Amino acid sequence: MWKVAVRGMRAHKLRLVLTALAIVLGVTFISGTYVLTDTLNNTFSVLFGNIYKHVDFQVRGVAAFESNAPGGGAVRRAIPESLLAKVRRVPGVGVAQGTVAGYAQYIARDGKAVVTGGAPTIGLSFDPNDELSALRLTQGTAPTSPHDVVMDAGTAGKYHFTVGDRVRILLLGPPETFTITGIATFGTANNLAGATLAAFTLTTAQALFHEPGRLDSINVRVAPGADKTQVQRALAAILPHGVEVVTGQTVVNEQTSTISKALGFFSIALLVFAFISLFVGAFTIFNTFTITVGQRTRELALLRIVGASRRQVFWSVLVEAAVIGLVSSLIGLALGVLAAVGLVKLLSGFGITLPTGPLVFEARTAIVGLLVGVGVTLVAAVGPARNAVRIPPVAALVDHPVVHAATLRRRYVVGGLFSAVGIGALADGLTKPAIQLVGLGAVCIFIGVAQLAPVVARPIASVLGRPLAKLLGTPGRLGRENSMRSPRRTAQTASALMIGLALISAVAVFGASLSRSATSSIDNAISANLIVTSSSNGMGGFSDTVPGVAAAVAGVTATSTVYAGEFEFQHSISTMTAISTKSVGLTLILRMTEGTVGALAHGELLVDSTTAMTSHVAVGDFVSVRFAKTGASTVRIGGIYEPNALIGSYLSGDGFFLSHFENPVPLAVLLQTNGSTGVERRVIAALHAYPNLKIQTRTQFEKAQQAQVSQLLGLIYALLALAVLIALIGIVNTLMLSVFERTREIGLLRAVGMKRRQVRTMIRAESVILALFGAIIGILVGTFLGVALAASLRQQGITEIAVPVSSLVTFLVLAGLLGLGAASWPARHAAKLDVLAAISTE
Amino acid sequence: MTLTEPDRTVTAAAHAVDLFKTYGTGDAAVHALSGVNVAFDRGRFTAVMGPSGSGKSTLMHCMAGLDRPTSGRTFIGGQDISLLNDAGLTQLRRDRIGFVFQAFNLVPTLTARENVTLPADLAGKKVDLEWLAYLADALGITDRLSHRPSELSGGQQQRVACARALINRPELIFADEPTGNLDSNSSAEMLGFLRRSVREFEQSVVMVTHDPRGAAFSDCVVFLGDGKVVGELQAPTEDSVLERMRQMGT
Ligand SMILES: Nc1ncnc2c1ncn2[C@@H]1O[C@H](COP(=O)(O)OP(=O)(O)OP(=O)(O)O)[C@@H](O)[C@H]1O
Ligand SMILES: [Mg+2]
Repeated sequence: MWKVAVRGMRAHKLRLVLTALAIVLGVTFISGTYVLTDTLNNTFSVLFGNIYKHVDFQVRGVAAFESNAPGGGAVRRAIPESLLAKVRRVPGVGVAQGTVAGYAQYIARDGKAVVTGGAPTIGLSFDPNDELSALRLTQGTAPTSPHDVVMDAGTAGKYHFTVGDRVRILLLGPPETFTITGIATFGTANNLAGATLAAFTLTTAQALFHEPGRLDSINVRVAPGADKTQVQRALAAILPHGVEVVTGQTVVNEQTSTISKALGFFSIALLVFAFISLFVGAFTIFNTFTITVGQRTRELALLRIVGASRRQVFWSVLVEAAVIGLVSSLIGLALGVLAAVGLVKLLSGFGITLPTGPLVFEARTAIVGLLVGVGVTLVAAVGPARNAVRIPPVAALVDHPVVHAATLRRRYVVGGLFSAVGIGALADGLTKPAIQLVGLGAVCIFIGVAQLAPVVARPIASVLGRPLAKLLGTPGRLGRENSMRSPRRTAQTASALMIGLALISAVAVFGASLSRSATSSIDNAISANLIVTSSSNGMGGFSDTVPGVAAAVAGVTATSTVYAGEFEFQHSISTMTAISTKSVGLTLILRMTEGTVGALAHGELLVDSTTAMTSHVAVGDFVSVRFAKTGASTVRIGGIYEPNALIGSYLSGDGFFLSHFENPVPLAVLLQTNGSTGVERRVIAALHAYPNLKIQTRTQFEKAQQAQVSQLLGLIYALLALAVLIALIGIVNTLMLSVFERTREIGLLRAVGMKRRQVRTMIRAESVILALFGAIIGILVGTFLGVALAASLRQQGITEIAVPVSSLVTFLVLAGLLGLGAASWPARHAAKLDVLAAISTE
Repeated sequence: MTLTEPDRTVTAAAHAVDLFKTYGTGDAAVHALSGVNVAFDRGRFTAVMGPSGSGKSTLMHCMAGLDRPTSGRTFIGGQDISLLNDAGLTQLRRDRIGFVFQAFNLVPTLTARENVTLPADLAGKKVDLEWLAYLADALGITDRLSHRPSELSGGQQQRVACARALINRPELIFADEPTGNLDSNSSAEMLGFLRRSVREFEQSVVMVTHDPRGAAFSDCVVFLGDGKVVGELQAPTEDSVLERMRQMGT
C-alpha cells in the first residue's frame, strides 16, 4: 500500500506542489512569528541583563497598579531625593545613584521634530557612575552644566549630530537648546528599539521633568565583601511606606516581561493570520483530495478487488497527506527563519532599529509548526480518505462509477447546524465580549456556509455565467456549464476564496464603520475650530506651555487643554480624560443626560451613560477611585453624558486631574476662534517653536483619523492577501485537476473544431465564475460578520454602521480578475493537450 | 485504392500518398502504417476493414488531421493537409470534416441539440435550422434534443453524434467503429442513415468497422493488414466480405 501511495504521489507532482504551498505558507507564518519574537525577547533580556549587570538593588515607589496599555509596565510614584543620602548611609551600600526620566524630544537640523514611529522619546538623568548607568559613553564626556546633553548613538547617527553640536529639545516646559557633550549607547545597543534618549545632569533632568527634589528610583551597588541579603534587609528597614527595594534581577525580569508582553500581542496578531492561512489551506487540501480520490475511483476499486482492505485504502490516502504535511511544514519552518531575518531588516528600514542578537530557534517553534502543519493536512484529508473507503470494488468494473458520498441532505443538516452554532457562538462572543468565541463562531459559520454553498452553486454559477456565455459565445457557455456541472466541487473550490473575501469584507465593513464613527464622534464632541495635537501618531504629548502660547494669539477666543491618564475606578484600571473647566462649553460638546457640565469645576467626575449603567452609578453617588500619585479616595459623580469615543468614559476637570497625576503632559489643545481670517496661520506661526505639533482644523482632524483607520486596514488587507493567495492556488489546483479529468472531453472539442484560443477562453470563463461565486458568498458573509462586529462595539464607540459598497464591488471585480489570472496556467495546459492523446485516453 | 489510377485522386474526397506512421524508436518501434496509398471517393461510402492492430484508426487519424504521419502526405479534397498548422487543422476539422467515434462522442454538459450545433457554434456560424430539423427527424432524435447525453441510450447518443458530424455539411465524414457498442438493430438504423446520406446528398463517408454486415452497407471496402492496404472490394455484400476475409486468413 505504501508503494501505491508513493507511486500515486510521484504521478501527481504538480498537485502535490500546489497542495503543499498552502501549508508551506501557513507554517512559514508560524515559524517566522516565533523565531522573530523569541529572538527579540532573548535580545532584550540580554540587553537588560547587561545594563543592570552591576545594579544589585533598586529602590523605588511601590507599584500603584499595572498599566492597561499594551507594553505598559507598572505605574509608580516618585520618591523623595532625601532618601538617597539615607540609602548611601546604609552599611554595605557601595554606590547609590538616583535617576529620573521624562519626556524629551529632539528637533532635527531641518527644524522638524525627530519622530520614532511609536517608540517613546525618553529624557533621563545621566548617571556619572559607569557601573550603574544604562548609558555607555562612546564619545565625548558626561553632561556637567544645565545646558549639556548626551545623545543616543542611534539618533546621532541618523540625524548627523556629533559632540559639540547644539541641538534643540522639546520638553514638558518650553523647548531649550543644549550642547551635545557626549554620544552614548544604551547598554550595547545604539538605542532602545527605536526610542530616542536625551540624558542630562540629574538636577537638570529633575528641573526639566518638573520633579525637583524627587527621584524615580535609586540604583544601588553593594560594597565589595558586603552580604547582599543583609544590605537588602537594612535598606528595607529605612524605607518609608510606599517605597520598596528590589534586586537588579527583578528589574531585569520586569523589563523583559514588559517587552515580551508587548511582543506577545504582536505575535498573537501574526499567529491569527497564520491560522487563517492554514484554515483556508485546509479547504484547498480537502478539495484536492476529494477530487483526486474521485479520479482514482477505478484504481482504488481495483485495489479493493485484488485484496486491499478498507483500512489499507484509508491509510494510503492519509499517508499521502502526512507526507505532504510533513515536507511542507519542514519547508515552512525553514522559510519562517528567513522571513524573521527579513522582517527585522524591514523594520530597521522603517527606522525601528532593533538590538541585534543571535537568531533563536526554539524547539517549540519546530513542534508547533510541524504539529499544526501535519495536523491540518491530516484533518483535511480524513474526509476524502473516508470517501475512498466507501468505494465498492465493483466500481472498477462499471463504465461510469458513481460513488455516493454523503448525501446532500446530510450536508444541509450538518451545514445548517454549523452555521447555527457559529452564529450562536458569534453572538455570545460579541456580547460578552470573548474574542475566542467570536473566532470560533466565525470558523463554524465558514464551515457551515461551505457545506451549504453547493445548494446555491448551480443557480449562482448559472446567473454569473450567462453574461459570459453571451459575451464569449460557445466557449463561454461551455465554461459556464462546467462550473455548474459539479455544484459540490464548485462550492468547495470557491469556499477557500469565500473565507478570504469574507474576512477582507468584514474588515472593510468594520473599518468603514470605525471611520464613520470616528468622524461622527468628532462632530459630536468637538466644537473647537482648531485642534492641536502631537504629530507622533497622536500618542505623545507636548509641552505644557503650548496652551498659553496658543491662547495669546489674536482671534483665539477659547482654549481647552486635554489630558488623559490611567486610574482605578471601582477597582478596575480605566483611562480618565481631563479638560480645562474654564472654557469647556466653548470647545467641547457634551450631551448630558443627567447632571451638568459645571460639575467638572467642582472636582466632580462625569461618566458616560454606558459606564453609569454597567457600573451602577448615578449622579450624586460617591465612588471609590485610586491614583498612582495620591492613592485611594472617593469622588462624586457630577453628571452623565452620552457615550463618545473621542472623550472616553470618564471625564474630569483639569484642576482635579493635575492634583492627582504626576506631571501629566497635555495631549491636545482645543481652540475656539472668532473666525477672523488668518487665525489659523497666526496660531501656526505662534507655535512654530514646537515642531512636534500638528495644528488641524476639525475637517483635517477628521481626515487624519480616517487616514489612520485606512492605514490600519491596509496592513490587515496585506496580511489577509495571503489567505486569498492560498485560495487562488486552490482554484488553480482544481482547474488543473478538472482539465486532467476532462482530457477526453477537451480532445473531443478540439476534434470537432474548437480552437486553442477557445479552449483557453472556456477554462478562463469557468475560473472567473468560480472566483466570482466565492467572492459573492464571501462578501455576503463578510458583510454580515462586519456588521455584527461593528454593532457589538457600540459601547466602545462604534456608533455608526457603514457598508462600503464601492470597496466591496472593487473586491468582487478584483476577485474576478484574480480568477482570470488563476486560470492562465490550466488554460494554457488545456489548450496544449494533444488532440489524439486526448481522445484516446483510457 | 492504389495510385495506379491517378485520375481518381483528383476527384477523391481524401487521399494519402506513401503514408508511414511509426510509434516509438529502435527496437520498440511499431510501424502502424507502412506505406499506405489510398483514395476515398467523393460521394461514396467507403468501409475500412482489417484485423485489430492493422492500423485502421491510425490511418483515419492521420487522414482527418488529428495526428501527423511520420512521413507521406494526406489530402482532403486535393488540399495537402500536412502543410497546415494547428489552427489550420482545427479549422479544417471544424468546417470540412465530421467525426463519429466509437464512444464518448458527446460533451456531457451540453444537451443533444447543443452537441449537434457545437461545430457551427464554435465557428460562430448560423445554424441551418431546417437542416437541423431534417437531420433530427431522419435520425429519430427530435424529441430527445433537449436531453443531456447521460439521459440518452447508447444508440441515441451515436445518432446525435451522427447529426453533429453532418450539421456543417462536411466534405467527408470519418467514423471509427461508430456501431461498435450498439446492438444489431441500432447498428442497422445508424448505418442505414449513413448510406442514405451518401445516396441522397452525396455525402462522402469513411467508416472503420469490424462487422461484415456493417461493411455491406458501403459502396467499397478497403482492407488493411500490417499497416498496408491489402485489398479492395467494390459493391460488397455480407457474404463477399466474409469470403474475402477468409481468403486473407483472418
Ligand atoms: N500511441 C501509440 N503508441 C504506440 N503504438 C501505438 C499507438 N497507437 C497505436 N499504436 C500501435 O499501432 C498499431 C495500429 O494501431 P491502430 O489503433 O491503428 O489499430 P486498429 O486497426 O485501429 O485496431 P483496432 O481494430 O483494435 O481498433 C497497433 O499495433 C498499435 O499497437
Ligand atoms: Mg481502432
